Amino acid sequence: MNPSDRRHPWSRLVAAARSAPDERDPAAPFGFSTRVAALALSAPPRSSFSLAFERLSWRALGVACLLMLASVAANYSAITRPSDDEVTVRDPVAEVLELES
Amino acid sequence: MSDSTAFDLAGCLQRVRQRDQSAARALVEHLYPLVIRIVRAHLPRQVAEEDLSQEIFMKMFTRLEQYQGAVPFPHWVSRIAVTTCIDHLRAQKRRPEFRWADLSEDEAEVLDAVLTNESDRAPDDALAARELVNKLLGQLNPADRLVLQLLDLEQKTVAEIHALTGWSSSLIKVRAFRARRKLQKLFQELQRKERT
Repeated sequence: MNPSDRRHPWSRLVAAARSAPDERDPAAPFGFSTRVAALALSAPPRSSFSLAFERLSWRALGVACLLMLASVAANYSAITRPSDDEVTVRDPVAEVLELES
Repeated sequence: MSDSTAFDLAGCLQRVRQRDQSAARALVEHLYPLVIRIVRAHLPRQVAEEDLSQEIFMKMFTRLEQYQGAVPFPHWVSRIAVTTCIDHLRAQKRRPEFRWADLSEDEAEVLDAVLTNESDRAPDDALAARELVNKLLGQLNPADRLVLQLLDLEQKTVAEIHALTGWSSSLIKVRAFRARRKLQKLFQELQRKERT
């Protein structure tokens, strides 16, 4: 659909909708700003220490994720290669049964 | 926001950080027209615009310490408003199905006019057209709806939408393409249903 194509239903509909007047008041209703300001400032302020700690925690998380990805990438071949010293478990009962048959 | 030159935003923010209540009030009054415009354009069903505006302002005050000045303050607030509206729209989960039977008489006439009339004359009933556009946009996912609303209804540029939402230009274009494709399918479906 070409948005500038005036023959398309959506383009024509939206052009008509744009001409609808919006007579709603854009100003804040009476008391709204007082209520919001009082609510917002009634909460205890966060200390600069907690903000700094939060910021550092996020950074630490990012660094930890990067380290994790780097270590996986560095050891990828070792993870995917089958182990050379794989221990095969011997089952004596199965061996006896195999000899009998 | 025409009085942005007269309003000392930096000074007001400084005073709000020092917990000055009158500065907080002034900031809310200054930013209210910006916030309410976004809220009214993207208001979910069954949510009062005042409640949603209050939630946006509360988030703004809570996160004020995180504002580093990387983008102009009104853009930062508009991004909070946009994400809050999208979160509310997502929370609605189920979108009502678009049916001819649910349209008012005026809306059905407008829809009929745009579907059948091939001339480039726009339908006359602007208010019904606006309602119809909102119902059609309600069929899209919240982010796609927002992009199309800003692009087609408010005629904002991709750069302006980027400033408002923080989304990249390519993401905005992809969302607009996806939304228009879905609307096109919807119109085809409506035309088919009208003929049967």
